[in-house]
Amino acid sequence: MATTVIMPKLGLTMTEGTIERWLKKEGDRVQKGEPLVEIITEKINFQYESPASGILRKILRHEGEVVPVATPIAIIAEEGEALTEIEGIMPEIQVEPTAPPLIHKETQAERSERILASPLAKKMAKEKGVDLRTLRGSGPRGRIVQADVLKAIEHLKEKEVPSPPPVQPSSGRLLPLRGIRKIIAKRMAESFQNIPHFYLSVEVEMTALQELRERIKEEIERRLNIRITMTDLLVKITASALKDHPIMNSKFEEDQIRLMEEINIGVAIALEEGLIVPVIHHADKKSLGEISVALRDLTQRARGGKLSLEEVEGGTFTLSNMGMLGIDQFNPIINPPQCSILGVGRTVEKPVVKGREIVIKPMAWLTLSSDHRIVDGATAAQFLNDLKRLIEDPVLLLI
Amino acid sequence: MKGDGFMEKDSKTWLELYRLMVKIRRFETLTGELFASGKIPGFIHLSIGQEASSVGVCSVLRKDDYITTTHRGHGHVIAKGGDVKKMFAELMGRETGYCRGKGGSMHIADFSIGILGANGVVAGGFPIIVGAGLSIKLRGTDQVAVCFFGDGASNRGPFHEALNMASIWKLPIVFVCENNQFASTTSVHYSTSVKSIALRGEAYGIPGRSLDGNNVLEVREAAIEAVERARKGEGPTLLENRTYRLRGHFEGDPQRYRTKEEVEKFSEKDPIRQFQAFLKNQKILNEKSDQEIWNEIDQELQEAIRFAEESPFPQPQDALKDLYVEEGESLIQRRLV
Amino acid sequence: MNLRELTNTEAMVEALKEEMTRDPSIFIIGEDLVAHGGIFGQFIGLPEAFPGRVIDTPISETCIVGAGLGAALTGMRPFVDLHFADFTTCAMDEIVNQVAKIRYMFGGQAKIPLVIWAPDGAGLSAAAHHSQSLEAWFIHTPGLKVVSPCFPYDVKGLIKTSIRSDDPIIFFMHKKIFSRKGPVPEEEYVIPLGKAEIKHPGTDVTIITYSIMVLHALEVAEEMEKEGIRVEVLDLRTLWPMDWERIAESVTKTHRVIIAHEACLTCGFGAEISARIQEELFDELDAPIFRVGAYRVPIPFSPPLERFVIPGKESLKKTIYNMFGKEIDSK
Repeated sequence: MATTVIMPKLGLTMTEGTIERWLKKEGDRVQKGEPLVEIITEKINFQYESPASGILRKILRHEGEVVPVATPIAIIAEEGEALTEIEGIMPEIQVEPTAPPLIHKETQAERSERILASPLAKKMAKEKGVDLRTLRGSGPRGRIVQADVLKAIEHLKEKEVPSPPPVQPSSGRLLPLRGIRKIIAKRMAESFQNIPHFYLSVEVEMTALQELRERIKEEIERRLNIRITMTDLLVKITASALKDHPIMNSKFEEDQIRLMEEINIGVAIALEEGLIVPVIHHADKKSLGEISVALRDLTQRARGGKLSLEEVEGGTFTLSNMGMLGIDQFNPIINPPQCSILGVGRTVEKPVVKGREIVIKPMAWLTLSSDHRIVDGATAAQFLNDLKRLIEDPVLLLI
Repeated sequence: MKGDGFMEKDSKTWLELYRLMVKIRRFETLTGELFASGKIPGFIHLSIGQEASSVGVCSVLRKDDYITTTHRGHGHVIAKGGDVKKMFAELMGRETGYCRGKGGSMHIADFSIGILGANGVVAGGFPIIVGAGLSIKLRGTDQVAVCFFGDGASNRGPFHEALNMASIWKLPIVFVCENNQFASTTSVHYSTSVKSIALRGEAYGIPGRSLDGNNVLEVREAAIEAVERARKGEGPTLLENRTYRLRGHFEGDPQRYRTKEEVEKFSEKDPIRQFQAFLKNQKILNEKSDQEIWNEIDQELQEAIRFAEESPFPQPQDALKDLYVEEGESLIQRRLV
Repeated sequence: MNLRELTNTEAMVEALKEEMTRDPSIFIIGEDLVAHGGIFGQFIGLPEAFPGRVIDTPISETCIVGAGLGAALTGMRPFVDLHFADFTTCAMDEIVNQVAKIRYMFGGQAKIPLVIWAPDGAGLSAAAHHSQSLEAWFIHTPGLKVVSPCFPYDVKGLIKTSIRSDDPIIFFMHKKIFSRKGPVPEEEYVIPLGKAEIKHPGTDVTIITYSIMVLHALEVAEEMEKEGIRVEVLDLRTLWPMDWERIAESVTKTHRVIIAHEACLTCGFGAEISARIQEELFDELDAPIFRVGAYRVPIPFSPPLERFVIPGKESLKKTIYNMFGKEIDSK
């Protein structure tokens, strides 16, 4: 029996996915459970496994297309099996509430109105800011050719319309944006353009935290066979601090601020293909050991590209520790729709004044980037100072 | 095996011939083992049983004489003075091999000692040997060119073109047919129009001799005569060394075209066993000195294998080298992605 | 520079004479060379000038090419005459499996200073076995270099370079251009392999071509000038290595490309050039790339049939009109 493959819903918040790559061609035989298509959501790359065995008879949605959840993307059937009835039921499937058929129609319409232009004309129009839709082509089949674009440019000049500054044709090797890189590019640009960031920095003494780690290290290693890291401790402390500052654990929506119930801490991990932020859910309710185990597991699976969508979703606050990369201080970009992100620098032994004496202490810079639409400097400062207090005197965690 | 009546009774030369035959036998046997253990990629053709032919002929040649050989060419390369280290390294696809890993078993050459190459195409050596012979003649040297080929190759066009051309120009060539009874799986009795391939010489005005190709002394004596004739500018000779391929066409050949009994029968005519018995009979070799020869050769070959195994593989991008003398990216089209 | 004129044949003979005088290892080998100085008179005077170095052979193409190879491997510089390009098929194993591969297979041990010279091309009612243009087969074969010039100046310079090359070269010369004259300086010169030359500069469309089609392209370029289309004619001269730099330069200038050869269109060299242009210069193109070549049939005998099958001036003109969206003048 034929099976319609639909765009899977890979997480709670997923509404649409991009077909990154079909792993099978039309006519290929697939086994149930075999990777069929690579799908990118806003957050991850995901290999979707075939829901049935048979021949991949038809690919309905192609690479690069953004497809709403539950929209049919392919049909798997046996060889020779008639697809007419499948096609018959397809529209019904499409009447899924989350699948707006309008979008589909629009792209169809765009297709038929495709502008015929030579590659050179297209390149030139783009460089000079000429809208090809305003031109009439003089080439065969009405194709817009270089001459038409040149004429349009002349025309623009005559009208003395200030043209955008010419883009310098750049040399160098081109790396296409794909996968995670593409997502990062989009999300970070959006964040930085749309969120009014402000930054607060504070230097904290790490003596107590380092001592604490030394004291519990062996015990944790013995019990859980795991080495506890500073990041683990910072997740715990941040979660604890957030409990007292619910406004920092919030997100910005249209005209309102939503205070989040759960405290889910995302931890930024650098992979070769780009940054990924797995989330430790309910970090405030987890013990240090649990956090440590969870973070290790997430990190390892992130490196293997095996995170599920749930595991990178739902973060309410992000922690980015660049200490191990030798960075003293940096201003991280907020991971939308969260309110804040904490950037942790490396711990350095340096002279500090204690009382009237200069002593050598391990110090680190914390920088908090926050969304000014949600919080003001003073609010964020209080949170950051609490965080500092907990780091310098972690015994307070017990309270 | 007869030994009387031979012109030269030189025990030192005889022992040298024997040594070379043993070296080829052991090289081929070890190669078979290395192949079976997965250390040699691809496929290989062994010349076990045909050692008398390679050694009998090549022992007569000078370093600057030329040979072309075949897909079953290890023996000829060793007999012409090839370096077993570079051979093993080539068989294993290593950087230090004769062809830096680009040729493998069927494409070993050593231009410094006149080996113009083994050839993967049956009868591929004929046109080349005609060119080498012509070149000798044009340059006016007294070199000789020898073309080794099998019974199967004598049924291909190039054989006939080459014999004719070599004959009309009296080129200094010796055509050495190693009639090992089979072209792959096809018996020479089925595939060949004449009883003896040597007879085909007559059609081109070339003297042809059919020899017991398992008797190294008989082969050597005929080769001395043919090579001398060539050197003196009297023209080509066709020798047919009747022999028997004791191994399959290639390693792993199921050999359904012949019986075990047949192979056993011919094993008794094994050229090395015959020559060994002859030398012992002549008191030139005894159990102890024989064992020493085998041991020494094994030691040399084991060292060569070690050398090959320790040698690095070529860098993948070296695949783009050695195509032309001139270098340049435009000659080897690059891939965009 | 002296502006004396030579035919292509004379230019080739002169090149061979100069080279054979310079280097005693060069010899010419092939069928029917001595009696008439070659069936096209292409070696006229050479058998007398170099006795014993112009060698007649039996009709044995395999061994003629093989003899060239064997001699090249052992210190000589043979120049092999294959009579007709069509007869390369009789020596295909030698050319493709031996000549082209021997240096590579043996890890760079060997040099193959060998020229295989083969007259090609149609237009003489020589029918299917004496009219083919087969260059694409040899461009497709790694290890060979392929040359196909059209003017006496280029023929002489490239014959000399080919003889001096340590790599094997297939040298095609169109039969119809043998007696065509052109200026050749008396002073000695060589032309490097792999260098194309603009034979007619233009700004509107580039015709990338070689061999006899260069002549047709030049005529078309003149005619188109009157209609306001400035055609650039790029003569490749050497097909492999291909002068990509010159091609790219010209395409970047004119933004329109026609590739023309007498060989059959399907999988002809034009397909390769076209593919590469669209891969690397897509954004430079203001029109689709067009190819001009023969129909995919054997070359027929009867003149009207032959004229129909092979491309010429008219096919080039039609292609240009098509490219610029012009109506074809029916007069």
